[in-house]
Amino acid sequence: MPNEPAEPRQKRGLLVLIVEDEFLIALDLQSMLEDVGYAVLGPVGTVDAALRIVEEARPDVVSLDLNLRGQSAIPVAEKLRALEIPFVVTSANRTFDFPGGEILTGATVIGKPVHPRMLIEALSHAYLA
Amino acid sequence: MDLDDLYRLLRVSHVQAQGIVDTIRDPLLVLSGDLTVISANPAFYRTFATDRDSTIGRLLYELGNGQWNIPELRLLLENVIPKSASVADYEVQTEFPDVGLRTMLVSAQRLIHPDNGRRVLLFSIVDATARRQMEVAKDFLINELDHRIKNLMSVTQALTRQTSVEGRSAEDYRDALLGRFDALARSLEVAAHKKTSRLPDLALAAMEPHLETAPAVVIAEGPVVQLSSSQATSLGLILHELATNAAKYGALSTSSGTVTLDWEVVSDEGSPAKVHLRWQERGGPQVAAPSKTGFGTRLIKFTTEFELGGSAELSYEPHGFVAELGFPSQTS
Repeated sequence: MPNEPAEPRQKRGLLVLIVEDEFLIALDLQSMLEDVGYAVLGPVGTVDAALRIVEEARPDVVSLDLNLRGQSAIPVAEKLRALEIPFVVTSANRTFDFPGGEILTGATVIGKPVHPRMLIEALSHAYLA
Repeated sequence: MDLDDLYRLLRVSHVQAQGIVDTIRDPLLVLSGDLTVISANPAFYRTFATDRDSTIGRLLYELGNGQWNIPELRLLLENVIPKSASVADYEVQTEFPDVGLRTMLVSAQRLIHPDNGRRVLLFSIVDATARRQMEVAKDFLINELDHRIKNLMSVTQALTRQTSVEGRSAEDYRDALLGRFDALARSLEVAAHKKTSRLPDLALAAMEPHLETAPAVVIAEGPVVQLSSSQATSLGLILHELATNAAKYGALSTSSGTVTLDWEVVSDEGSPAKVHLRWQERGGPQVAAPSKTGFGTRLIKFTTEFELGGSAELSYEPHGFVAELGFPSQTS
């Protein structure tokens, strides 16, 4: 309908999936994001759970920890790339010179401990990019 | 002894020099100008699992399966040595017959025989395989430690941020935060040792700071339940939150109140054994559900689900608060 005004851009918070294996950090990240009005999926702490939830519910953007109880989160990153879901990496490691690390090229990395403002900015940038 | 000393000795006495070469612990070859092996020490035979017959009188490049026939090493020996007299610690990583993959550091030193002016080459080899492996292992450990430190800093940050500041004094906040640190430290300590990483040991360790001020806590003589280190850490923190809440609002805030902690292991056929843990308060002030969920309550519920793979039910019953936790027992 030509006369109908363009729908205003929704000002809802993003739906963020948190992938983090350390429960206290997961809980903290969840609070950080909920405090600024984001909706949180998860948190999940294993590769399997992350893959499952990504399949079931499509988050807008993902906060991804790379080391999940000794398992590499690279399969999750690969899945997210395949589904074109943007993600931000939270990691104590700064370099990705391990097998499969190429998939992370271009992703923003937030070092640990995570600074709330930096994470929130990175998530919204990743979503808009 | 350095090579100069050896050189002097070589001039003095062949026998003596041979004795010295034999006692050197690292493999050593004496090569002629065309790189034929003139002599080898016992360490060489030992290290490369070979013998005199397959070594003496042969070209260096033909030894074994030709493992020394490396273009770069040839270049060094044939071109660099004649000009610079020595090569130090040239690294060769290759598969040696009967010995396997090894990292060898090769050093070569040119000597000129004092009498006939003939050139010989001392070719010494250090097996650096174990050292290299240790370096790799050390780097790995440092990395791991670095990772853990950062993780612990993140956890510390999480506790500091999540401990509420609303409507409390700085002192009160500090005490609450220190209480959580203490609970975390105790739980990590318990979790680090297999012998204590179980019920009731964990419950006793977690409740110890509270038992001093609250003799009204009864820890039942339940069955021994082995806990994984992550189960122990999270359960320790959960018990701390329960005790803190009880001391603030529940049964432990009065002199007449009591807390009973008990548990049982339930195994239904076909499904893994489950731990049922119950925290029951009695005789405290009348309780009601709080108007908003604090971090302690969130931590209890979240941790039970996320870390223990179970569920927590918190009931604010009029005669006393009850927390019931159910989670799968670890089988190993």
